[in-house]
Formats: sequence, C-alpha cells, structure tokens
Amino acid sequence: MPLSSNKVADDGTSAQPQQEGKAMVDSLVKVVACYRHLASCIGGCTDNSSLRRDLLQTRERAQTLAMSCRNHLTARLRDKTLAEAERKETELLWVAFSSCLELLHADMCKVFTMVKHFSLANNSTMVQTGIQGGSTEVAARALSLPDLQEAGDGSQTSSVEGQEQSQLEQEIAQVDRTLEDMELKVNVLRWTVEALGPQYGDPVSTDSASLALLSIDEEAAQGFCSRSQMFAAMMLCGVAIFAVVLSVCVVFLI
Amino acid sequence: MTIRNVRDHGQRFRPRMACLKKVESVVLEMQDPKTGVKSQTQRLVITTIPHALTGEDIVAWIANRFKIDAAEARAMGTMMVAFGYIYPLQDHKRLMLKPDTSLYRFQTPYFWPAQQWPVEDTDYAIYLAKRNIRKKGMLELYEQEQYNNLYKWMNHKWDFIVMQAKEQYRAGKERKKPDRVVFDCQERAYWVVHRPPPGTVSAMDYGHDRMVDPNIEEKKTPDYYRRIIMFTQQCIMRPRVKSSVSIGALVKYTTTYKEHDPFLHACLPSNPWLTDDVTYWTLNMPNVETPTKMRVERWTFSFGELLMDPRGRDDFRLFLKKEFSGENLAFWEACEDLKWGAAETMKEKAQQIYKTFLARGAPRWINIDGKTMDITVKGLAHPHRYVLDAAQTHIYMLMKKDSYGRYLKSPVFKETQKKAIAPEQHRFTETQLEQNAKRRRPSLSPIILRQQEEEQKAKLAASGPVDITQVMSKLERKQTK
Repeated sequence: MPLSSNKVADDGTSAQPQQEGKAMVDSLVKVVACYRHLASCIGGCTDNSSLRRDLLQTRERAQTLAMSCRNHLTARLRDKTLAEAERKETELLWVAFSSCLELLHADMCKVFTMVKHFSLANNSTMVQTGIQGGSTEVAARALSLPDLQEAGDGSQTSSVEGQEQSQLEQEIAQVDRTLEDMELKVNVLRWTVEALGPQYGDPVSTDSASLALLSIDEEAAQGFCSRSQMFAAMMLCGVAIFAVVLSVCVVFLI
Repeated sequence: MTIRNVRDHGQRFRPRMACLKKVESVVLEMQDPKTGVKSQTQRLVITTIPHALTGEDIVAWIANRFKIDAAEARAMGTMMVAFGYIYPLQDHKRLMLKPDTSLYRFQTPYFWPAQQWPVEDTDYAIYLAKRNIRKKGMLELYEQEQYNNLYKWMNHKWDFIVMQAKEQYRAGKERKKPDRVVFDCQERAYWVVHRPPPGTVSAMDYGHDRMVDPNIEEKKTPDYYRRIIMFTQQCIMRPRVKSSVSIGALVKYTTTYKEHDPFLHACLPSNPWLTDDVTYWTLNMPNVETPTKMRVERWTFSFGELLMDPRGRDDFRLFLKKEFSGENLAFWEACEDLKWGAAETMKEKAQQIYKTFLARGAPRWINIDGKTMDITVKGLAHPHRYVLDAAQTHIYMLMKKDSYGRYLKSPVFKETQKKAIAPEQHRFTETQLEQNAKRRRPSLSPIILRQQEEEQKAKLAASGPVDITQVMSKLERKQTK
C-alpha cells in the first residue's frame, strides 16, 4: 500500500486524517470479509445460535465503522481547501468505501432471506455441507478481539428470531439510505478515479497444506500420481544403469 | 460503486425462475438423516471430510422418491448439479451427475442460485484475485482473459477488489484446514455454474432481462381488472379447431420439415452456432449463384416457401420471363413494396402500380376478374397501404394454381436442381473448434447488405420488364419481315 509508508511526510499535519481514513476503510474491508465467511455457513450443518450471534455482532461492528467512515470521508471531500493529490487519494478511499458498503448490503440481504428460510427456532432442516468447525475464530478476527467468550444460551425462541429479523430489515433499509445519500451528497466521478495498486495482488504466504489437499483432489482424476510414480521409477532405473556401467568400467580398468 | 438512481423504462429485471424453489425443497428432503441420501466421508491425504454422496446413491434416491426410471432420475440429478445445488468433488468443471461411485456434496445455501440477485462481476473479480493471491498463475486462460477485462472495466474499484481479496483470504486462514478446503470447493463450484468455462453453458442463462419486476405484487386497480376482462373476452371469442384437425396439420408439418430443422437434424456442412464455421451462411446467402440441395427441396414444399426465399423468387422470375408471364410476379412484388414501404411515397407508388398493371391498355396488364378490379379501382380513389390486397391475393392464387405447377416441371427448375450443391458434413477436432472460435469475425454490416439489395433491385428494373407493347411490336416487326 503506497500510503502507509508515508510516515514522515512533508506536511505531517494533513497526513494524519488521511491515515485515519485509510485505517477505518481497511478495518471495514476486513469486517465485511469476515461477515461473508460467516454468512456462507448459514443454513449448513454448523448453523447454530452462536453463529447467529457472531453474525449480529460482526454486523453491528461493520455498521459503526461504516458510519464513522462516512462522516470522516464526507467531511474531507466537502472540504474545499483540500489539496489536489489528497483529494485524489480521498476519492479512492471513497470508491473503496462505497463498494464495501454495497458488498455488505448484498450480504445482509442474502442473510435476511436465508435466516427466514432456515429458522433455528422452528427446527428446519439444515443442509449437510461438510463444514465441521465453528465460526468463533473468524468472528474474533472481525471484532479484533483476541478471544471471544462463549456466552451461549443455546436456544433461540421464535420471538427472539422475529425481533432480530425486523432489526436486520431496518439495518438493511438504513444502509440503503446511506448509499443513496452518499451518491447525492458527494459527487465522485467514477471515470476519473484510477487505481494505484497492482493488477495482481502479491501472494500472501502460500498456504501449502490446503493447496496440497485441493490439488490432489483435482489431479486424482487425471492419474497424475501414477504418471509421477512412473517418471520417478524411470529416473531410478536410469541412475542404476549408469552406476552399473561405471562399476563395469572401473572393474575393466583395474 | 454502482449507479443506483436509474429511472428509465429499460429492461433490467431477471425473469421468474420458479424451478429454483422446487429444487430447493427437493434438496432439503434429501437432508433427512432417515429418509434422505446416505452420506459418506471423503478421504483426502491428511483429513477426512464428511457429507459426501455417491452419484449412484443420489440417482437411486431420486428414482425412489419420484417413482421414475433411472435415466430420468439421472437427468433430474444432472439438472440439480447444473443449477449448482450439488457439486462434484472430482472433475469439477463438468456439471453432470455420473451414476457411479464418483463423489458429490451439497452446496451451502449462501451459494445457491437466486432469482432476486444477479451474480455480480465484483464478486467474480474478488474470487479471481483471491485465487491468484493463493498461488500465482493458477488462473486458466479464459479466467485470465476475464480478469484482464474486469481490470479494464472496473479499474476504479481495483484497489478495493485486491484489498477485499486479501482480507477474505486472511479470514479464511482463521478457519480450520478441512473447512478451508470445503469453502474453496464451494466457491469454485459456484463460479463454475455462474461463469462457465468456454464451450459449456450455464444453467442460469435466461436470455434477456425483462421490463416488469416479477417479484412485486401487482396492485388490483380498475385498470388491472379491465385488462383481465379484455383478455378473457378475447379467449372466448377465439375460433376453435378440432384437435384431430390441428394435430393432423402439425404431423404433416413436422414430417415435411423435420430434415430441415437445425435442432432435429444436422445442418450441412455444419451448424455455425456450434462449430463457429460460417460456410453454412455463405452458402445460403440471399443472392448466391448456386443454392444448396436442401434449399431447393424446400421450394417444392409450398408456393409460399418459393416466394419467400429470394433465390427461389429469382428462379421463378426467370421461368416466368421465359413464359412471358412475368407481370404477375412483378405486380405481386410491387404490392409487397407498397405494403411494407415508407408512408410518404405510398400515394405515388399506388398510382404507378395502377398505371403499369391495372389500367386499360396498361403495358403490363394483369388478368384479374371484374369484381376484384371494381373494388381495387374504387379503393384507389383513397389509397392506403392495403388497397391492393384483394388483387394481390387473386394474383397469388393464380400463380400458385397455375404457374407454380408448371415451374416445378420446367427445365429451369430441373436445371437448378441438377446444379444444386450438397456440401459434405464438417468433422472438426477439438483444436480446430478452438481455432474456429478464435477466428470469429463480425459479418457484413447491414448497411452494406441493404446497398447490395438496392443495387440488385435497380439492375432488375433496368434489365427491363418485358411489356406487352414491346412484345407486340416485336411480333409485328417479325410479321412484317
């Protein structure tokens, strides 16, 4: 990220709110990513009240972050005294923020429909998706807590669910309104915003384990294993023959 | 960052997909531990993952549940896999149900296909970026091309996409390893359904977007009831035909045309939509020299077919020219021109037609009976598009009953039939098909085609209608010689 290295800038005073905005948008992106992971577990075999609770908490955190982000960025973009370079960077942040909010909106709508369909209180059938673990680690990452306490009361009554549903509906409407307000209040022209980052993200430390599991999965059908085994066997044979030839030559010489 | 306040009357709603809800209820029935499908564990190198199903178990369950035979159950299972409710664990790119021990798993409801929400390109870009982050160079060729396209179109959000991909990847690392593998398989299966590899078709392909949102309830206003009343009145007034008669007509139609239908029979030389090779279209152009055998056969089916095909009409015109009865066809064509032409030139056209064909002593006088002539002349006092309809129908019937039969026995037609070409069936290999796909080019612009048509029409007009006066004068000259 080109901006985070801008620690000791020429004008140190204006770098501070810029970095603040960047940090807020980064954390919002992180929370939305975690929300998506949690949402993918709904309706599956690990769907339980703690997952629903994690979803609720993650969503609330995302909303608070979104509100503060919006206020900060709106204030900065409406500030007419902003320098040109700063304005460009803030516009980039603005685009990132609004795309993030749209993703959150889409995920919230999906969660709303799914929760209506797969209600915990009515013991509806859950789909056997093959997931085994819980969602606590992902939620902990979203809420930036090192450890989440398992305050599980276990059961969910239909009235509690109904309440949560209506709350979710209201929040979706609120995000909707926020997005519309954003478009009206601040005029950021999409075609003038250019991405600064690279086209391909740099590979984060390659996770060899799950990669290996997946690749064996893919290549098992192709019989790659047998081919590699044959290749290794041929190499060994070649080396053995070479060794035999060498020893014969040595014997003849001596 | 998408534009939200679009208030125009464009088509932007996805159509009803009622099948999805039905498939969902079947999938939920399959989950029952007692009456559902038996699940097994999938053994990978280090771990085991539960809830895997074999293809044969799924087919057996469906056949049992719906009391159908194995072939139909397999087709239904393939439909469920094509929609994305079940995904294959081996050979993930071919979305079909194999009734053997190959393994499948249920898709999580988050990745189920939905009618309400379109599948966003932003999500696809994030998914591709995530796969690239996991291992560089893991994208296939078609995915690479799509990634580059998305980079061009969504350039303004690209930083966000890369950021979100990284964050989703890191959040995924927080989960346990088997769950990570399962989630990756789920996501991959989702995108195989909604962004199919080249050469395959997505089951969620629905054609055009619709004007009206099918999810909103229509308000019961007086207008709504008025529409319902009109519709039912028209239903009652519709003329009815005995099913034996209509079915007989359908059977006759299908037996005549079944070899000419590109869906039911192979197209010669090859169907351009399937093999990306346009020989079929170039051989069947409107003004081609030698038509294909299939085309000539279609002319023998009915007079309408002969007239509607431009090459057939040319052939017929040639025959009539030899018989000196070209004025019927010329009149019919002039009437068509009047019916379909521009409104401003209509009056002049009608007058021209009257002078050339209908007036007493006209150069190309056509033979219609007295009653029709009366109606036409009366109508020409106040000309409109359909004023010559009666005369045109009369001439059409005349040509059909008289000239058409003679045409089919004439040497002109027999000559055309002999010269007609029957192209060989193409046999393309996989690589050749890929090359064809890469070599696709747009066809001739409609402007150029229209210019060619106009040129042809002008040439025809210049090469001259043989009018009776010319013929009579020629005959007189011959006699005087």
